Order: sequence, then C-alpha cells, then structure tokens
Amino acid sequence: MLLVAVIIVYPIAYTGWMSLQEWFASSLTRPRFIGLANYGKILLGDARFREAVARTIWFTVVAVAAETLLGVAMALLFNREFWGRGLLRTLAILPMVATPTAIALVFVMMYHPTLGVANYLVSVVGLSPFRWTYSSQTALYALALVDVWQWTPLIMLITLAGLASLPREPYEAAHLDGASPRQAFWHITLPLLRPALVVAILFRAIDALKTFDIIFVMTQGGPANATETINLLLFNQAFSYFNMGYASSMAVALFALVMGASLILIKVRRSTTW
Amino acid sequence: MAARRFTRRHFLKSVAAGVAAGPFVWTPARAQGFNWKRFSGKELFLLLTKHPFIDVLEKNIPEFESLSGMKVKWETLPEIQARQKMTVEMTANSGGIDAFFTSLHVEKKRFWKAGWYHPLNKFLADPTLTSPDFDWNDFTPGARAGVTQPDGSVSALAAFVDANVVFYRKDLFGPKGLTPPKTLADLEPLVKKLHAPPGTYGIVLRGLKNANATQYPSILFPMGGTYLKDGKAALDSKEQVAALEMYTRLLRQYGPPGVVNFNWYECSAAFMQGQVAIYMDGVNFASQFEDAAKSKVIGKVGYAVLPSGPGGHFSPIYITGMAVNAQSRNHEAAYLFAQWATNKTNMVRELMAGVGVGRASTWDSPDVKAKPKMPADWYQAYQASLKIGRQGLPEIVGVTEYRDIIGVAIQKGIEGAPAAQVLAQAQKDFQDLLNRTES
Repeated sequence: MLLVAVIIVYPIAYTGWMSLQEWFASSLTRPRFIGLANYGKILLGDARFREAVARTIWFTVVAVAAETLLGVAMALLFNREFWGRGLLRTLAILPMVATPTAIALVFVMMYHPTLGVANYLVSVVGLSPFRWTYSSQTALYALALVDVWQWTPLIMLITLAGLASLPREPYEAAHLDGASPRQAFWHITLPLLRPALVVAILFRAIDALKTFDIIFVMTQGGPANATETINLLLFNQAFSYFNMGYASSMAVALFALVMGASLILIKVRRSTTW
Repeated sequence: MAARRFTRRHFLKSVAAGVAAGPFVWTPARAQGFNWKRFSGKELFLLLTKHPFIDVLEKNIPEFESLSGMKVKWETLPEIQARQKMTVEMTANSGGIDAFFTSLHVEKKRFWKAGWYHPLNKFLADPTLTSPDFDWNDFTPGARAGVTQPDGSVSALAAFVDANVVFYRKDLFGPKGLTPPKTLADLEPLVKKLHAPPGTYGIVLRGLKNANATQYPSILFPMGGTYLKDGKAALDSKEQVAALEMYTRLLRQYGPPGVVNFNWYECSAAFMQGQVAIYMDGVNFASQFEDAAKSKVIGKVGYAVLPSGPGGHFSPIYITGMAVNAQSRNHEAAYLFAQWATNKTNMVRELMAGVGVGRASTWDSPDVKAKPKMPADWYQAYQASLKIGRQGLPEIVGVTEYRDIIGVAIQKGIEGAPAAQVLAQAQKDFQDLLNRTES
C-alpha cells in the first residue's frame, strides 16, 4: 500500500498540483499558484492543444481499427492447421519485440521520398509514389502504418488465445442446423470473442493515445504541426519551452482522456449488446 | 534561497570587474610561471554533449589531467538529453557539475537569466588563472560576441563556431559555365538552370520545423530582415515576407520531393547521393561529403560564402562554448579546464579534424596548412563567413519556442500558404512569447 502511494499516487498528485501553477523550470522565480488558469487556457485559448487532441484521437481510431481488422484476420488464419504454421506465427510476432525507436529510424529511411524502399515497393505495384511522413496530408497515416505494423500481432495473439478457448458445441449445433461458415463466424465466433477483443482493443487504444517514440523520432510533430499529438505537445512545453505548469495541465488532460476511453471500453465489455 | 541571492550578487560583482578590466592585455612579465597545478588533486565533473568538437576533445582529456594534476570525470549525452539533465540538476541545485558544454545559440539567454553560467570576466583578467598564451583577443569578434551577455559578462569560452555556407556541385556548374551565387538575385535563376528532376534537383534547404530556423537567416539576413525591432517582434516586416517567400518558393519549385520534412540528415543524404545541385547549411557537415564511405560526390563539391543581398552580406553563425557552472564548488578549477579545452593547441587539433573553431590564429597554423583535411575553398569559405558572422538566432530566453513558431510558418509556406499570412500568425505567437518570457 505504501509502495503504491509512493510510486503511483504521489507523482499523479504532484502533477495535479503542478498543473495549478505557472512555473518556468529555468527561471529564478518560484512557481506561482494560478488556480485553474492553465485549464482555462487549454479548453478555450489554445488552438494548438485542441488540434492536438483531435489528432491524437484520430490517430488512435485509425491505427486501432486497422490493427483490429488485420489482427482478427491473422488470428483466424493462424487458428487453422497448415504446414509451417508455428514458424510463420513466430515470425508474425517479431515486430512486437523490436524497440520502437529503432523501428522508427528504419522507417525514416524506408519512407525517404526519393531514396527509400517504400516508394520503390509502391512503384512495383504500379502506384505513383507517396510523400509518406514528408507531407502534412499523409504524415499521420504513415505514422499509423508503423504502429499497425508493430502492434497488429498483439491483437492477433490475444484473439488467438480467445479462439483457442472457444467451446466446440455451438459450432456442432450450428453445423447441424445448416449454418454456413460465415454465419458461424458472425453469430458464434465474434460474440464469444468479444471479451478478449475488448481487452485487446483497450490495451492498444491506451497505448496508441500515448504514442510518443515513433512520432518523436520520425517527424517531431511535423510537417508544420500535422503530427503533433498531445504527448508531443506536452513534451515540447515541458522540456523544450520549460513551461512545467502548463505541461502538467496537459498531462492531466491526457490522463483524463485515456481514463475516459478505458471506461467506455470496459463498459462495452460488460454490456450485452454490441 | 541563499544560493540564489549569492548568484545574483556574484553577477553584479563580476559585471563591475568586467568593466574595470577593460581590454585583456598580457605582458611577458605576467606570462612567467603560470601554474597549471594550482588545484592538483581536485576532481572535476563535466557534462558534455555528443558533438564532433567533443569527440576530438575527449581523446585529449588525459593530457589535461597530467598537466593539472586533477582528476576529470565526465558524461557525454545527446544535446537535448544533456539540456534536460542540466535543467534537472540545476533546479535541484545539486552542484555536481563543474563545467559544461553549452549550445549558446539556444541556451545563452535562458541559462544566463537563470544564473547558471559563472561569469568568467574576472578569471580572464587574472594572470594567475589565465595562462598568458591563451589570448582572448585571438577569438574572432563574432565568437566573442556570441559568448558575451548584454551586461558584458562572459558566459563561456567559445569552442565550436558553425557558419552557414553554400555547397555546390562543381561538376554540374563547370560544363554550363556557372559560378556560385554572388547575390540573392543570382540565386534563383541559377537554381532554375540546374534543376533537372528527377535526376537533379536545383536546391535543398532544411524544411523540418525548428531545424529550418537555423537556415532561414541565410536568406533573411541578406534580405534585410531582423527578428526584433526595438525589442518587439518583427516577423511581419516586408523583408521577412520577401525572405520567407523566397525560401519557401525555392524549396517548393526546385527542392526534392518531401523536402518539407527534411532535417539536415535528409538534406545531406540527398546531396551526397548526387541528387541536388546547391545546398546551403552549416559548414561542419562538409567533412562527410569528402568521406568516401558516405558520399558519391567526393571531390565534386565546391564551397562558397553565402550570397549577399539588399540588406548586406552576412553568415549566420552558431556558437558552442565551455562554461563554468555557477553552482559548482570549484569555479576556478573548472575554469582551468574550460581554458585548456579552448586553448590554441586544442583548437588546432579541432580544425585539423575538420571541426570549425573561432580562433584567428588557427588558420595560419603550419600544421593545418601542411595537412589540410578539407579542400582549400572550404577553409576560404569558412574564414570569409566568420568575418561576416552574425548570431543566427534571436538572443532571447525562448529560442526553442521561437524556432517552432517560425519553423511552422516555413513549413506551411513550403506547402503553399501565402508568406504574409503565415508570418502574421507567427508574429502574433512570437510577440506573445516575448511578453511571457522577456519582461
């Protein structure tokens, strides 16, 4: 209990306290208590923060939706028996093991518009080259793609575990009643998988909302502010501008956002209808 | 609280000392018997930054240890992490760091206002602390200005001095009978003639926000623009509009695809792969162009000083220095290290390794002349640039925030937004920043 208090509660409480102050970490002036002024600025005054919130949510939705679709598809594939399954499954999990920063550096090189391999691959399929992270229109999606590449296997793993624990009886009954495999998937597999899926999505959503390393390494929030999520912005406020109080209030806002998203997802898990 | 008051009073004292000392002159009589071993037996801790200058310096630190009899420990971190560590240590008032490598173009005003630099004026004037062969006046005027604060206090000893220059492809210029641009008016027609995509793009400059803010003044200064006018933001002047217009148009029309997010890394890569005819950036990047392992354009690169313009002829310069931590308990011992690190011998070593320094005497050093690492026009372009050097970024507390503000404006400009419009927004944000931090 004491340990929890020291390593969890104290930092959160301190951040909350800091968020009520105006304090520049490098100045001689002491922190000054300004009440809720930082939050007022966040909610009303700061367009850059509002855009960052919308961007963070959109990034999360795009990345997690793609990961869920691909992850479930891969899980269904690997749930079947076929030659080489074990090897392929192990290979599929590899991206998860890699360090995000290292991956980001590799993708920086792959995304290079004239020298990178990504545009070469695109041209092989007959498409015209993309700007990837080098244009404000595509940068956020290019980053989401990195996230998808790395974290789809997590959803696949959790779904696979869910699939392995499914009972056989409902399928036998459905088969006797003449249900097609597609009907069996929609009416039996998916509803039974839901608890596992919600957990997987929850993990991923919390993580995606907090994504920092790949964005920091690959675009630093650019071009312009096209990929500046809440975390990037608050990092800038705290460690580039040394504006600790204001950054703390953003951290609290991000915390609230993550909590909110988690509560909604947990509620979805408990409720009986989709 | 006591420590803070001490620091501030210290400032005032040293300002007075600095004024009293006047020009620093050494006579041979003073030169005799300089004692490096005064602090023998002490231990120093340094916070250093990953930087070509430090790479060269680190190898010779044992030499300082035997010279001074002190023990030196140090930690070398990437620049941003070092700045974070500095902030944490200083805020905690730990006193654990004795000397540190400082990027003055970012930290100068902020660290000074926070009272983190121990002023060096008194030490420089003290013959028992400054060796007679150190010669402060050997540093170029730009380098000295770069380490000196508005109140005259010297915050660090200048180490590495970067200047923006023009890199161009001699093999592309030659056959067409072209020469490097003398004025801004020459630049665009020249770039247009060389632009032949997808094989060759006319020009590359940094597009990525924040990073681009150090290259923008290469166009802004000759155009006649400044950052501040009478202490107020001056980002919406007509010179600013003309400069941003030109910078972004060059990249939009003649830059490689995706240049909007190019940091120096991508710019240099494109140039070294032979995809670009003209590249303007910090002179120190040149050593990799002449590195056979990295570059396809080895021996084909020409070096020239930046073009002039209606506003004059400038080269934006960026200075790093060795500073003494105000919270250190060994100010004088730490100063001995800073002095040794920037003395003539070490600066010649840096220049021999292709790292630019702001010490006039190093250029005539027989060692450098006998074994030049870089082509002759590199030395010429660098030396000429130092003579017309001007601090490349505004000397304010919120440098990083300014860099983001102008950086975003430039990126929006490259993607097609009108210069006047993006600068109007930048002007507002910049003035807001000044109101918050400069008062």
